[in-house]
Amino acid sequence: MDADASVVSRLAAGDMDAASELYDRHAGQVLALARRILRDYGDAEDVVQDVFSQAWRTAARFESSRGTVLGWLLVMARTRSIDRLRAKQARPDTRTDVLPDRMPSADVAAPDQLLSEEQAVRVREALANLPDAQRKALELAYYEGLTQAEIAERLTEPLGTIKTRVRTALGALRQKLRP
Amino acid sequence: MTMDRHDILGPKLGDYVLGDVTPEEIREIEGHVRDCAECAAELGELSLVMEGLARVPEPVAPPPELKRRVLESIAGLPKGGQTVDAVRRGWSTGWLAAAAAMILALGGALYLSQDRGRQISDELRRADSEIAELRTQLSDFTGQTDLALSILTASDMQRIELAGSASGARAYWSATQGLLVAADRLPVPPPGRIYQVWLIGGGAPVSAGVLATPRTGRGILIAPPPGGIARGPVTVAVTDEPPGGLAAPTGSKHFVGSI
Repeated sequence: MDADASVVSRLAAGDMDAASELYDRHAGQVLALARRILRDYGDAEDVVQDVFSQAWRTAARFESSRGTVLGWLLVMARTRSIDRLRAKQARPDTRTDVLPDRMPSADVAAPDQLLSEEQAVRVREALANLPDAQRKALELAYYEGLTQAEIAERLTEPLGTIKTRVRTALGALRQKLRP
Repeated sequence: MTMDRHDILGPKLGDYVLGDVTPEEIREIEGHVRDCAECAAELGELSLVMEGLARVPEPVAPPPELKRRVLESIAGLPKGGQTVDAVRRGWSTGWLAAAAAMILALGGALYLSQDRGRQISDELRRADSEIAELRTQLSDFTGQTDLALSILTASDMQRIELAGSASGARAYWSATQGLLVAADRLPVPPPGRIYQVWLIGGGAPVSAGVLATPRTGRGILIAPPPGGIARGPVTVAVTDEPPGGLAAPTGSKHFVGSI
């Protein structure tokens, strides 16, 4: 069990020191993602509070074989940030959050490996190097939580075009995971 | 697995990880992925891509006070595995159930007191600013300033975070000097009601007095120690009661905290 996963098992046992440790390790990345999505410092800090509270309540359900602790926190951060963004923009929520407060279903989406630092860097570089149209579509989907239908409407492009761009962009990023 | 389902559902894996699928599609995709190694592998990689996208923004240094806020909010929650609803239900079923919720919160409060030992310099800075803030609030209460300062500077003073509907409610309890309760962003009490503060120290709740609300949203009580409270752990609770207060609580609890 890696150090992070052991912190989460202590968290599940109600250890407040573990909450402090988990915060020290990951609050900076959680806050960065929330700020990127919300573009509002106060709202982003509220999300950090929500995420660590949720981690405290649901730590017992974390499964280290299903992904990294940071990945788990970031899924919660994205979901909560987008919920807030939609509420602020009074956008009806037509999305269905697959992974709102849990790891992917037990038999589903278990990666063979955990995301390494090196892979994270490669994904970042690959996103920057995507063709503009693909990057834009993927960013709207990931960081603004728009459905592809909403992206098509916003960019006044056919839905099929947007779907192709998102799929191609995701495919390109997947390729970069491999050494 | 059939090829048809694979051909239909495979291209939707990206939609799935982005959350752009219907509940029915979720069920279909999850069902398919359990039987299809190819899609399971792709979904695993897409999950890593999602984590990679989440890590594109460079980590930032959170503002120093955020950690305290986060840990204090956790301290007021039940431990992992408990649901908040369970505690909420307890609140509405009376003092006994509320006491159970308080005990759950107690673990967190104890942690905060241990944490204080380790983070003494942080805490001193915070205490300074809290006292400065309280001094400002106390300008309206000059007659009670001495008592308030006696409480705040008492060697046996303990700070109690009050969880409830105001985001900034706190009590300072000294068994020798008395009780100071300060609340910020206090909701308006129900029509015809006022806030009354109670101390519970092993026996029945004892009234500590009525929360004065000199300005909308602010509440303060400065009182000498009421009789009947033994030294040792206490719980502070705030309820709404008829004007003038009662000898025993009857109204809804708005804040509660324990040491």
